[in-house]
Amino acid sequence: DGVAVLPAPQNLSVQSTNMKHLLMWSPVIVPGEIIYYFVEYQGEYESLYMSHIWIPSSWCSPTECPECDITDDITATVPYKLRVRATLGSQTSAWSTLPHPFNRNSTTLTPPVMEVTKDGFHLVIKLEDLGPQFEFLVAYWRREPGAKEHVQVVRSRGIPVHLETMEPGAAYCVKVRTFVKVIGRHSPSSQAECVKVQGETLPL
Amino acid sequence: AVLCISGGLPKPTNITFLSINMRNILQWSPPEGLQGAEVTYTVQYFIYGQKKWLNKSECRNINRTCCDLSVETSDYEHQYYAKVRAIWETNCSKWAETGRFYPFLETQIGPPGIALTTDEKSISIVLMAPEKWKRNPEDSSLSMQQIYSNLKYNVSVYNTKSNRTWSQCVTNHTLVLGWLEPDTLYCVHVVSFVPGPPRLAQPSEKHCVRTLKDQTSALKV
Amino acid sequence: GQEFQFGPCRVEGVALQELWEAFRAMKDIVQAKDNITSVRLLRKEVLQNVSDTESCYLLRALLKFYLNTVFKNYLDKAADSRIRKSFSTLANNFFVIASKLQPSQEKEMFSISESARRRFLLFQRAFKQLDIQAAQTKAFGEVDILLTWMERFYQ
Repeated sequence: DGVAVLPAPQNLSVQSTNMKHLLMWSPVIVPGEIIYYFVEYQGEYESLYMSHIWIPSSWCSPTECPECDITDDITATVPYKLRVRATLGSQTSAWSTLPHPFNRNSTTLTPPVMEVTKDGFHLVIKLEDLGPQFEFLVAYWRREPGAKEHVQVVRSRGIPVHLETMEPGAAYCVKVRTFVKVIGRHSPSSQAECVKVQGETLPL
Repeated sequence: AVLCISGGLPKPTNITFLSINMRNILQWSPPEGLQGAEVTYTVQYFIYGQKKWLNKSECRNINRTCCDLSVETSDYEHQYYAKVRAIWETNCSKWAETGRFYPFLETQIGPPGIALTTDEKSISIVLMAPEKWKRNPEDSSLSMQQIYSNLKYNVSVYNTKSNRTWSQCVTNHTLVLGWLEPDTLYCVHVVSFVPGPPRLAQPSEKHCVRTLKDQTSALKV
Repeated sequence: GQEFQFGPCRVEGVALQELWEAFRAMKDIVQAKDNITSVRLLRKEVLQNVSDTESCYLLRALLKFYLNTVFKNYLDKAADSRIRKSFSTLANNFFVIASKLQPSQEKEMFSISESARRRFLLFQRAFKQLDIQAAQTKAFGEVDILLTWMERFYQ
C-alpha cells in the first residue's frame, strides 16, 4: 500500500436532484500530473453488520474528475456513507469521508417537463423520462367555471399518452407533478398548459 | 443408455430455454468443428430440489437442436435445469447444462388477440388475453391473466393522417376510441406486460383499420 | 404509490424493481456456485398457502435470518464487484423492510405466529444441514423465489 503523501480530497458534498445523485469534492492539484480518485460507499446494513466492508462505486473507481455520479450505487432508502481518496502512481491519499451520510429521501424534486398536444379530439401528453422511480400525477380539467379536476397516474415515460377525449370547441388544461414511491414524496406542480379543440361547442 | 467415450466430442453450445406463454423449448447450437458429421443429441432435465436427472424419451438420439420440455416444466413454480450431449458414432460429448430456469419469471408474455370494429368516428378494440401453452388443443385453456393477475396491456394507436401516436395502459379487455377522424386509417398494436421483474414481451402485429366516411357530409352532396 | 401489504404490516419505501435488477445482475454467478441442486431451501411447504396475516410473521423471520446469517460475512468471500453491488442493494432493502415489519404479539395471534414459525423452521433446518458457505450461497441464489412470493403482497 503506497505511503499516504497525497492530500486527501476536501469539501465532499452531494448534490441530488430528481433522484440523480452527484458526489463532488475539491480537486487535489499536483502540477503537471493526473490525479485519479476512487469512490466507495457503504449502506446502513454494511455500517451496522460489516463495517469493514466498503463497496467500490460503479462508475468512479477510478475517475479523473472531482465528481462522481453515485445514482446507481444508492439503491435503498437508507443513509449511505461515502468516501473518496486520491492516487498518483503508487502514492495514495487518506480516505476522506462525507461528513453526514446521504439518504436519497433528501433529493430535490422539480416540476416535470411535459408536452401537451392534441390529435383531433384527443388530449395527449408526453412526459420526460426521469427514470423508473417516478410516477406522474396528471391533473386535467375542462376550462370552464366549476369544472371538475381529473387525476390520472401515468407511469409510461417518454412516449405520448392519451389523457382524454375532448368535446368540440372546448379548452382543456393540464398540470403535472411527480411522485417518487421509494421516498414517498411529490414534486411541486408544473405550470398549467391548455389546448383548445376546434369546432363549435356542443349544445347542452 | 448409449455406451460411448465421454468427452470424445466438443459439447453443444448456447444451450438455453426459449419460453413464451409457458411453452418451454430447450435449444442449443451444434458442437463446433463437426460440420457434416451425423451428430445426434440426448436431453435430460432436473427439477431443482429433487434428486435425479430425468430422461426425455422423445429427445433421445435426435438430429434436431431443440426439444420441447413444456410438459416436464409445466409447474411454473418449480425451477429446472436441462442438459444435452452430442453423440457421433462411439464418441459423445460431456453434458452442456443450462442455468437454473424459472418459468414463472422467465417466460415471455405473448401479445393478446386483437379484434377491431369501426364506424365513422370510433374504433372498438377487443383484446383476448394470451393463453398458457397447453399440451392438447382440446385441453381446457388457462389465460396468462390467471397466472399473472396484474397483467396489463399497453395499447398504441397511430393516426396515419396526422402521423401521431399515443398510447394507453388498460387492464380490461375492451376499449373504445371515440371522436376519431372519419375516413382515416388508424393502426393499433398492443403489448402485454406484467409489472414486476423485467420480463421480455412480444408486441402484437400491427392491426390497421379505416374509419368510415362521414355520412352527414355525404348526404349534403 | 406502490407498497407492500403483508396482512396488517404495511411497508413503503422499497422499489421491488430495484431488488429484481440487483438479483438479475448476479443470478447466474451465484446460482452457478450452488452445486447442491438436490436441495431447495425455500420449498413449497415453506411459502405455499401463507395467509396474509401469517405473511408478516414469516417474512420477518426470513428477512432477519437473511440479514443475520445469510448476508453476514458473505461479502468477505464475494470478490466479484457485481455480487457486492447486488448484495448491498438486497441487504439494505431487506433491512428497510424488516425494520418496518411489526407483527402483533397479542395472544390471539399465537396460532398464526406459530404456523409461521414452523414454516421458518423448515427453511432453517434445511439451511443448517449444509456447510455454512454452501448454505449462504444457496440461500442467496434463492432470493428470486423469495421476491416472487413477496411480489404477491405488492399493491
